[in-house]
Amino acid sequence: MTTYTRDDTKLLFARLRETDDPGVREELTKLHLPLVEYLAKRFKDRGEPLDDLIQVGSVGLLKAIDRFDLGRGVEFSTYATPTIVGELKRYFRDKGWAVRVPRRLQELSLRLNKVVAQLTQELGRSPTVPEIAKYAGVSEEEVLEALESGQAYSTSSLDAPSTSEDDDSDLRVDRMGETDVALDNLEYFASLAPLIAELPERERTILYLRFFKGMTQSRIAEHVGISQMHVSRLLTRILDFLRSGMNGEAHY
Amino acid sequence: MTTPQIYLRVPANPGFVSLLRTTVGAFAAHEHYTLEQIDDLRMAAEEAAVQLLRRSTGDRLTLEMSADEQQMQVRLTVSVTPGGPVIDPESFSWTILQALADDLDLHDGRGSSSVTLSKHRTVGAEFVA
Repeated sequence: MTTYTRDDTKLLFARLRETDDPGVREELTKLHLPLVEYLAKRFKDRGEPLDDLIQVGSVGLLKAIDRFDLGRGVEFSTYATPTIVGELKRYFRDKGWAVRVPRRLQELSLRLNKVVAQLTQELGRSPTVPEIAKYAGVSEEEVLEALESGQAYSTSSLDAPSTSEDDDSDLRVDRMGETDVALDNLEYFASLAPLIAELPERERTILYLRFFKGMTQSRIAEHVGISQMHVSRLLTRILDFLRSGMNGEAHY
Repeated sequence: MTTPQIYLRVPANPGFVSLLRTTVGAFAAHEHYTLEQIDDLRMAAEEAAVQLLRRSTGDRLTLEMSADEQQMQVRLTVSVTPGGPVIDPESFSWTILQALADDLDLHDGRGSSSVTLSKHRTVGAEFVA
């Protein structure tokens, strides 16, 4: 195993931002795997195989790698730790409804996420399964399997980095002003109001835009700054929550 | 040109909803529907099935699907005892189904109720027979 040094990390990040080379990304991942392992071990007494926890933590690591800003002057490990821990915590939180998904499928889902975004842009519409399969060089069956597993797996673990990197967070809060309108519309359904109030703002907005404004998933994705596949997972999850909530069961 | 038709009968039990969902998604994918349409159809089928099962008095739920050049149709049917619509047009469920389907039809017959959803084919995603 490569020894972990801070200078290597900085150098690699500089190269990654410049070239977007997947090899560099992989190297960074490898370099910080010990950090993931260390953090995953903290959760090892909760009855989940350590291997799985490391896998979950790695998703957090990938997110952190994609979002890390060298200019901030923070050590990467400092930056990545809360993201990795957050991913692990979410994993346990989601356990109640999530199905264990083989690593192979998780990785494929992660890849397809990007393929879908690319194809959507090229075609100017959502792609079909054969189109995705051809582009990604896998079978249609595998695409379907990965899509299904994406639905079952933790909602944001497979999240792609925001399509608009420079997106100002203030701006995004502004957009959420729509939530008030959304609430008015949704509260028409009296039985749902308390449940909808429990949803995070982003989820409320997505719910409103899809079902009341008839906006497509791709447009919502653009609007909210997440991938279309993530919107899809969130919608499924929101509906699940509302259904189980109406039976007096779940928490979002 | 043949128009493919699928018929599936499952126990009227919520445990089979995910099977319906998957089947609808696989058929839509097979028919070259786009990812978003597949998703809409899956979500709609799930919502319709959940609602139908709440009122079902029989022991089976049937799923019928067909596709042609223009559209794909999904129909879910259960047995019910007559009285009131199975899905209230004022309900949130109905709102969801309307957003997800291009056409939506609720049929309360004697002893059975069905929901029919259809989705129009996207231009550019071609028909395969």
